[in-house]
Amino acid sequence: MSERPVSYEDVTGTLRERATEALGDEQLRTNLRASAGSWAAGRKRMDEQYPFQEMREKGREIRTRAVAELPQLLDQLEENLTATGGVVYRAADAAAACRYVVELAQREGADLVAKSKSMATEEIKLNEALEEAGLRVVETDLGEWIIQLAGQHPSHIVAPAVHLNREEVADLFEQESGGPVENEREALVAHARQRLREVFATAQIGVSGVNLAVAESGTICVVENEGNGRLVTALPRIHVAVMGMERIVGSWEDAAHILELLPMAAIGDDAAGYVNLITGPRRPDETDGPEQFHLVIVDGGRSALRGGPFEEILNCIRCGACLYACPMWKSVGGQAYGSPYSGPIGAVLTPVLEGPHASSAGQLPHFSSLCGACHEACPVGIPIHDLLVKARGQATEQRPRSERVGMWLWSRLWSNPVAYGIGRRLARAGARVLGRRGWIERLPGPAGAWTSQRDVPTTWPPKPPSS
Amino acid sequence: MATEAAQQLIAALTRRRASGAVVSADEVVAALDRQLDAWNVTRVVLADDPLLEQLGVADALGGDRREVLTWPPRLGARELLGLEGPAATCGVSVSVAAVAPRGTLMLAASTGQGRALDAAAAYHVSLVPDDRLHDSLAGALGQVYREGPPPSALSLVSAPSRTSDIEKISTLGAHGALGLHALVIAG
Ligand code: SF4
Repeated sequence: MSERPVSYEDVTGTLRERATEALGDEQLRTNLRASAGSWAAGRKRMDEQYPFQEMREKGREIRTRAVAELPQLLDQLEENLTATGGVVYRAADAAAACRYVVELAQREGADLVAKSKSMATEEIKLNEALEEAGLRVVETDLGEWIIQLAGQHPSHIVAPAVHLNREEVADLFEQESGGPVENEREALVAHARQRLREVFATAQIGVSGVNLAVAESGTICVVENEGNGRLVTALPRIHVAVMGMERIVGSWEDAAHILELLPMAAIGDDAAGYVNLITGPRRPDETDGPEQFHLVIVDGGRSALRGGPFEEILNCIRCGACLYACPMWKSVGGQAYGSPYSGPIGAVLTPVLEGPHASSAGQLPHFSSLCGACHEACPVGIPIHDLLVKARGQATEQRPRSERVGMWLWSRLWSNPVAYGIGRRLARAGARVLGRRGWIERLPGPAGAWTSQRDVPTTWPPKPPSS
Repeated sequence: MATEAAQQLIAALTRRRASGAVVSADEVVAALDRQLDAWNVTRVVLADDPLLEQLGVADALGGDRREVLTWPPRLGARELLGLEGPAATCGVSVSVAAVAPRGTLMLAASTGQGRALDAAAAYHVSLVPDDRLHDSLAGALGQVYREGPPPSALSLVSAPSRTSDIEKISTLGAHGALGLHALVIAG
């Protein structure tokens, strides 16, 4: 396991406690409902305008092929990018990636880093590493900046501040600027624009993520809607891009398809506002663009997934669609997950990247109804529900011996027709005693944990619950 | 055919709250002038591009109403970003290609057209000769990356700067240009 786990180290309470708290937050649930609703409307529009199913199949084929060819594609990317004057660093884990960027910043005498949105940097905890080294780091994506000011973690891959409303945002802006800020949306956006321009003008280093790299030309793609991705990659003297090693395709034809699918799945639009395709630092005859371009390619447990039961998770293009589609995420939001990756994708990715010895992340795969809505929403057709079941299996292997023996015994008994029949008769008799009013509200012994948050009907259709 | 593609491009951009028009080469300067007036632009930064030179844009837009600069504008980052000097600036670029059905303009970085030209300014107008319109993203990218060395940066621009980070409602002008206007040059 890497020195810096994927999960946030400062989250408190268990997943159950965090989820229960989120369920009690009416404002949060209203915000989540509204955001999931607007995502669903956008997706419907895309479904009507484009052959989404066909595009999804092709997307899946492209990603599967790219993951199969990953080592060659990464070599080709490195070769082409190096030829343009860019520097490629392959980091085995989060600690190595952070060390590289911190040392670069120190070597260059930088004190201010402007960041555009990036899941990979959130995963490796780059901000914390830079801040520990005494640098000031400013997130410039509006949602990420709001979250940074609030001292919180993002709640969605694409919409990090989806859990906050404009009154809360205005309060944060007032605290940061020390002056009054109107709580109208346009005014808040204009305020952030003005404040963050100071950062674009003075930062020595711009850090971005990478939505996709294209091996054939040695190019990285930064997809965004605000324009901060462009300013961060164009104005500072040094640009550092951090990518998860799997975010690559071979050709521009493949890249074009993924770049078309991504905004359709993420924001229900057929193009993102800005797609910045960057092939190295500025050329000698150019007058803007960074003098240095560094690409940090993070493994962080990914190469171990190739060829294994979780390989398909590497196909993910981080669109966030499965979050909006998930009944669990829609109920509690992303913060309850305690990981930069929340929702169905996060419930698989967090524990598998952390490895089988992951501590709290082991609970995440159980935080799902296995309804399959995530799979339906996924633009590259990842069977996330199947992977959740596999991840549950992996987490169960880590359970105490007594529990595993109990489960083994249970499975043997229920695979035997006679024992199953006896079990059923006993269960029916038990239900008559415990569920006299049509519902079992409490089971005895360890089974009580199961009924602590749900009632079980003993008739079908269930009787209306008595008040 | 070309007109149909041009209309498609403008329709797609308009859906995302940008705007545009199809004009003949003779009409470019007047159309540009009107758009700059509509935005009350007082400083223009033009790409140093043979097309703009050929159309005589720099001379025609000058005068006392606004300052006209050509890339590289020799402004510091603070001025480029509108923190100092006039706030209502407009970058005028020339698209190397465009994707008509999805409303995407493509700006290639070069000596005469910087990476920040369109996004640092408050407004952006891009000129697109209609023979540069493609019907797919793959076709347009293929042309840029296969016919010659790749540009250090290719910026795909399909909307004014927008954000949905506050209450999930799309709001314009987060960091990049508040207004985007495409002029497709027919013929
Ligand atoms: S798993 Fe699929 S739907 Fe979820 S973020 Fe990844 S690509 Fe998008």
